[in-house]
This record gives sequence, structure tokens and C-alpha cells, in this order.
Amino acid sequence: MTAIATNIPKSATPPLERAYARLGVLLIAPTILVFSLVIVYPLLAAIYLSVFSIYTPTLQGGFVGADNYIELLTGKAFWNSLKVTLIWTVGTLTLQIVAGVGLALLLHQNIWFRSLARSLVLFPYFLSTVVAVLVWKWLFNDLYGALNQGLMQLGIIDMPLDWLGSMPNAMIGVILVGAWKFFPFVVIAVLARLQTIPENLYEAARIDGAGPIARFFDVTLPQLRSVLTVIILLRAIWDFKEFDLLYLLTGGGPVTSTQTLSLLVYQEAFGLNQMGQAAAYSVGMMLVMLVFMVLYIRQTKEKNA
Amino acid sequence: MKLLRPVLLNVITWALVLLISFPLIWMIVTSIKPQTELFRIPPTWLPETVTFEHYWRLLSETSFLLYFRNSVVLATTTTLFVVALGTLGAYSLVRFTYRGRETLAMLVLFTYLLPSVVLIIPLYLMMVSLGLSNTLFSLILAHTTFALPYALWLLRSFMEGIPEDLENAALVDGASRMGAFRDVIFPQLLPGIISTALFTFILSWNEYLYALVLVNSEAVAPLTTGVMSMLISAFNIEWSLLMAASVMMSIPLIVVFAFLQSYLTSGFGAGGVKG
Repeated sequence: MTAIATNIPKSATPPLERAYARLGVLLIAPTILVFSLVIVYPLLAAIYLSVFSIYTPTLQGGFVGADNYIELLTGKAFWNSLKVTLIWTVGTLTLQIVAGVGLALLLHQNIWFRSLARSLVLFPYFLSTVVAVLVWKWLFNDLYGALNQGLMQLGIIDMPLDWLGSMPNAMIGVILVGAWKFFPFVVIAVLARLQTIPENLYEAARIDGAGPIARFFDVTLPQLRSVLTVIILLRAIWDFKEFDLLYLLTGGGPVTSTQTLSLLVYQEAFGLNQMGQAAAYSVGMMLVMLVFMVLYIRQTKEKNA
Repeated sequence: MKLLRPVLLNVITWALVLLISFPLIWMIVTSIKPQTELFRIPPTWLPETVTFEHYWRLLSETSFLLYFRNSVVLATTTTLFVVALGTLGAYSLVRFTYRGRETLAMLVLFTYLLPSVVLIIPLYLMMVSLGLSNTLFSLILAHTTFALPYALWLLRSFMEGIPEDLENAALVDGASRMGAFRDVIFPQLLPGIISTALFTFILSWNEYLYALVLVNSEAVAPLTTGVMSMLISAFNIEWSLLMAASVMMSIPLIVVFAFLQSYLTSGFGAGGVKG
């Protein structure tokens, strides 16, 4: 009771609310425990490992200070991979956005069997990357692949193309498959937003004499702006760190022309057996990504506020 | 002109939809063609002879069923674990006030965006030193790194959609917090929980990188690495067998699409892409 008299701000919390706060902490405790064990600890360990030189098969090695980071900054590998990652991200993201918005607009119209059409379009996104890659490898097959044969039957090419084994075809190939696999994400998000645009905005534009194209630029696009910002940031982050699709389609090849940062880290750790150097690359990669992450988190905070 | 426009719109849209689905149609077509028909130039766009021999061979002569069983155990356990933790965690993050709550929510979002390759090296070392490498348990733990932040974030959005008045009314009527959670919140949250569980299951089912690094014995390999090893180890690649494996591997997905698709779309609305 004396505590209440002497400490006025604290007394503002009734005992029930303090009990609630304790219950709240209790409920989140298991999550925090698992988080610390499988995410926070490995994250810190990655930073710690990055100043060591560790040979993967024996896990033996020693402290090397900033050597790994000096190699990162002065060597070619990191910068080459960063360039490849940016080309891949920008290329596939652009295709995803264009195809995604376009298809969302079409699927928003009143077409035959609309829900079936939507299901078919969404399917690739949920498909395992392994399945997607197997199917596309078969499509890309130089001799018997449906893609080369189809293009030849249509008269677009006269000779089968080597899709994944040479540049720039390999980069075009992974960008295409990436766009095919991930554009449905854009479709779903944009479709959901389209359904909430009030019809009277279009009515008003129509009365003002706006044609379909003008209506898209004056009504639809401004309404989609906020959702598109979020989609672009999220997809940029996810494409930037994509591993499975590139690793399985080309393995980073030919040579290193499609080796993104994720593949570089994997290759350094489990191909070249330099775990410390790989950890340094992964920390470098994370620092680059931090820019996008901060932008996205800020965007989300704004919306919640 | 007035009549022609909807027809044109339909034709264009459906042409595009079929173009997008073509790889999947081709996967099915290839899986039911006899091996001899595969290597014909030009290819037969529709199979001349339909056969299910590849499916039969897949189930009887390869380890496919073993991989399938491993994937079912892995994805189910990960989902149950993550959804149980996530539901309680999300309830705490949305409906309770305590110090550090906001920071925690931001940390969840941050880890949700974190690249797996950063965590994989320490996780690999951790599993080796704990003697857990080459076990399904190590994969379940590893899958938690992406599934838990994801489930928490999704469930948090669903939880925010439940009106606070409902819970308050129950509290006024004398229910305890956990009683109100069980009787009021949980039934309201159930569609969100199902949606989150489906997403988590699919994520875990499809995961490749952790399985590649943490598991190299066939006995515990899930479908992703198992089926890929069938591609790599084969002297001449049997595409029809691989396509049959691809179709079989997508079965859970096809089931979800056929019966539970609305849960997938609602999960999208909640998953941080609200416009």
C-alpha cells in the first residue's frame, strides 16, 4: 500500500493488468526460446564465424581477423555475384510486375470460368521449385524440348537453342522461369486490391469522357500504388535471396554467369569448403539486403500506425 | 463491336492462361507417354498411346514412397509445431501489452525476410555438434527458421481482424483470459489458423536448401532432394519418370487447390500485402 502512495506512475497499473502482462510474456516465451535457438544464435554465430578461416570437412581453422572481409572487398567473386544478383532481380521482378498486373486486370473482368482461370494462374506459385525446375529443364531440353520444337514449328528459330548452357540464354532462361514461378503472387495481391476500388470512381471518369486507357492511368494505377510498393519491396527481397531456382536450373553456370550471392555463399561453404569466407559473404549479402528490409519494415510500420 | 469485345477479351485471357499452364499440361502429358514416344521429332503434342507404366515404376522400383513418407512427416510436424507456437505468440503480440512487444514484432518481420543462406552455415555446425545431422528432426528445427516468423506474421494479421469487443464481453462475463481465448478467440481465428497451416505445410513441403545441406542419407531425404537425386544419378535421364514424380509430388497441392483454395487466398490478404 505504501508503494502506491510513493510511486504514483506505477500505481496506475492495476494488479489485473500486471497479471495480464505476465500472461502475455508467458505466452510468447516458447516462441522467444525457439527464436533465440534457431534464428538469433545462428545469426550471431554467422557474424562470429566470418572472422575465422574454417575448412568445412574437418571444421578446423583459426582466427583471421578482417581477412575474409578484405577478400570480399578486393576479390572479384562478391562483386561479380552482386552484379548477377541485381540483373536477375531487376529482370525477373520487372517481368513479374508487368505480367502480374496485366493478368490481374484481365482476370478481374467477367470472363468464362473465371475461378478456374484464376486457379490455373495461381498454381505455379505454390508448386515446389524442384517440380518447376524439372518441368522447365525438360521444356528447355536442346533436342527434344517442347520449347525449341515449338519455336521451330512456328518458324521463329531454325536451329535448336542451347537454353541453359550458354550466355545470355542462361540468364534469360532463369529470369523467365523465375517470372513464371513468382508472378502469381503479384496477381493475387493486385486482384484483391482491384476488388476494393469503388465502382463510382470509374463511373465518374466515364462521365468525364475517359477511355479505358485513361481510366487505367487515372483511376486504377493511383489506387494500386500503395499495394504495388509493398509487392515490389517484398518480391525484390525474395528474388534477391532466391537459391533453389537458380541452383537447380543452372547451378550458377555457365561458369559463374548466373551465380547469385546465395549461390556464392553455398558454393564457398560446401563446394570450396571455406566456411569462414562463406560466412563473410553471407554477412555482406545481408548488409546489402538491409536497405530493402528497412524500407519494407518502415512501409509496414506506416500502415499500422 | 459491342458483342465482339467480350469474346475477344475471353479469347485473349484464356490464351494467356493456357500459355501459363502449358508447362504443367506438358508435365502431365509427358508422364503418360511411353518412353519411345518422348524422343520423336517433332514431338506428339497429345500422347498417341496413354500409359501409366512410369507411375507404376516410380512406386515399385524407386525410393519415391520413402521420400514421400519423409516429406509428410517433416511438413506435418513442422506445421503443427509452428502453428501451435505461432497462435499463442500472435495472441500475446496482439492482445497483451508489455515492454519490448513492438520490438519483438519488428524482429519477427526482420527474420521473415532473412536469407536462409545466412543461417545455414551456423545451423549446419550446430546440427553436427549436437549429433543431429542426417535426421528428420534437424530438418524440422531448420524449417522452423522460416516457418515460425511466417506463421507468426500471418496469424498476427488474422488476430488483428478479430474485434476486441468480443473478448472484452467475455471478460466482463467473468471469463479468464485463457478461457476467453479458448471460447471466443480460437473459434474466430480458426479460418486463419487453417490458412496459416496450409501455407506452412506447402512451404515446408517445397523446401530444398536445408534438405540439401543437412541430410545426405537416402533414408531421411524428403521429396525435394530425393527426386532431384533421381535426376542426377540417372545415366540417361528418364524424363517421363521424373514427370510422373513431379505430378505425384504435387498431389497435396492439387488437393488443397481443389478443396481449400479460399483459405489460400485469404492468407494472401493477411500476409503483409494488404493494400
